Amino acid sequence: MKRVFLKDMAYRKARVILTIISVACLVLLILLMGGMMNGLNLQARDYVKSVDRQAGSGIVWLSSERSGSTFAGFSLINSEYLEVLKTAKGVDKNTPLSPLIFAQARPIINGKEKKAIVVGYKMGMLGGPSDRDLKDPTSPFYPIIGRLFQPSEYEGPEYVPPPEVIVDERTGLEIGQTIELSGKPLRVVGKTKGKLFVFDTPLLFVDLRTAQNTVLSNVLYVNTMLVKAEEGYNESILAEDIKNLSPIKVDAHTGDQIVKIIKANYVDEPMKGVRALRALLWIATGLIVAMITYVTTLEKSREIGVLKAIGASNSYVILMILKQVLLTTVCGVVLGILMAIVSARFFPIVVLISVRESFIVAIITIAVCSYGGYIAGKKAASIDPMIAFRGR
Amino acid sequence: MNPIVEGINLVKVFGEGSEAVVAVDDVSISINPGELIVIMGESGSGKTTLTSLLGCILQPTSGRLFINGNEIDYESQDLSLIRRKSVGFVFQLFNLIPYLTALENVMIAMDIGGIKDKEAEIKAKELLSQVGLSDRLNHRPSQLSGGEQQRVSFARSLANDPLVVFADEPTANLDSRNSASIVDLIEKLCRERKTAFAVVTHDASLRKNADRVVEMKDGKIINIEYK
Repeated sequence: MKRVFLKDMAYRKARVILTIISVACLVLLILLMGGMMNGLNLQARDYVKSVDRQAGSGIVWLSSERSGSTFAGFSLINSEYLEVLKTAKGVDKNTPLSPLIFAQARPIINGKEKKAIVVGYKMGMLGGPSDRDLKDPTSPFYPIIGRLFQPSEYEGPEYVPPPEVIVDERTGLEIGQTIELSGKPLRVVGKTKGKLFVFDTPLLFVDLRTAQNTVLSNVLYVNTMLVKAEEGYNESILAEDIKNLSPIKVDAHTGDQIVKIIKANYVDEPMKGVRALRALLWIATGLIVAMITYVTTLEKSREIGVLKAIGASNSYVILMILKQVLLTTVCGVVLGILMAIVSARFFPIVVLISVRESFIVAIITIAVCSYGGYIAGKKAASIDPMIAFRGR
Repeated sequence: MNPIVEGINLVKVFGEGSEAVVAVDDVSISINPGELIVIMGESGSGKTTLTSLLGCILQPTSGRLFINGNEIDYESQDLSLIRRKSVGFVFQLFNLIPYLTALENVMIAMDIGGIKDKEAEIKAKELLSQVGLSDRLNHRPSQLSGGEQQRVSFARSLANDPLVVFADEPTANLDSRNSASIVDLIEKLCRERKTAFAVVTHDASLRKNADRVVEMKDGKIINIEYK
């Protein structure tokens, strides 16, 4: 008689299936929300980490004083002004200072205004794809389909390179097509794969001069400079040193600090509501299971009363109900995880369902539902066996 | 002969104050081993409440209850344990578990009592054979007639070899032919198994076979007829 609870579930299969589907749908939502946040976190660090890998680590990101970084506030720097850093203590003399423009833009793509991030950098310096990314699968911007843009040969307002751009494949653009950036046409010459900023915003890699000519109205400034710490010199210490370096007044952050800033500004803040919703969904899951179990318990009050009258202990009744809740919840959780894995593939933005998070969601959901089932079981155990005599 | 169940000055009051109803009023009664007692009386006379008190379903407002010579301590004892070890119940509405077969409905009483499946199955088959249902083992309650369901209910009540079986109006929901066969079954089980039966009934046909007939009115025993 170890399977009495299974026979009861089979007898009430419509309700059991309904409960499993309810739990599965809620687990699906919880996992998709978590997966969305995982996707955003991945995108938040992807570009910064790619640049770090490009340099081999130890990058310090410079921006205007009190800007809080290019990713948090307004920054504009005269890159020549920072040339003095080349000789500063702790700076790697073999890696050139890399000027960079990282700016939100609204290019016209296939006749429609789209959201994108323009990354303007000097070919061969840090910040974007280089020759290495065309052939080396271990390089951070690999693969590049097509070719790199032609860089500017000289510096100065009159020297502007051919208007070319490397776009991410997510834009849907083909090589040879043209986009419009700040009213200027740019020809697509290459494509990256999966180079996206948060919320699937594609990165558009252009020459620094092209970026200045478009998003900065041809002003020869940048909003970020990248400095590499020399071998054995800690980049956090270098960032602090640069902040205190007179007469330069800039903000300096390590790559990890930049990732934290991006997460705080672009992920954590907008996702606060989603987090709260997730917690509510967990409570809702527990309540649904508890309510359905409770209603089922009421429906079979007489059966439980009879079991108690013929000697069933409270723990026998509670255990029987808990087994049912546990099996129902486990089925719902497994179904929910499978549904999440399948639906994540078809979701319009990047959703990463991690095994660890699925496991945590499963454990929490089972715990919440078991508690709900325990409360319903306690209620069932309190049924008066007298109900067996006259049905009331 | 020592009684297996003995209630002394049992009182059961439902409700409080002006709404209080005295269902059993200072009743003393004992049940001897293998005895067939019939408890009769009008509706509301306290028959079912008395059997519920004697069967450890209800706790008396006052009075003492002894089972197999041991006084029940309602504060510290697990009444469910006493019910599964010493008492069997048969209900007016049969009360079989709808999703279990006849065999499983008998086995579940033993499952509650902690008996292993194999042993329980052998015993359940014996009991069902004893009540004349050896060919209906795998039928669910919905596939059995009222009389057959009540027979399963009797088999279930005997599953843990109780000292006494309390049957509450076992023939009330049956036609006259089925009632008669249940009356015969009660006597047969009582005499063959030497298990005491206390049967609450309006059915006069049980009277003639009983060892004792107890009549109740307004919560009191007004007459005891020894046979």
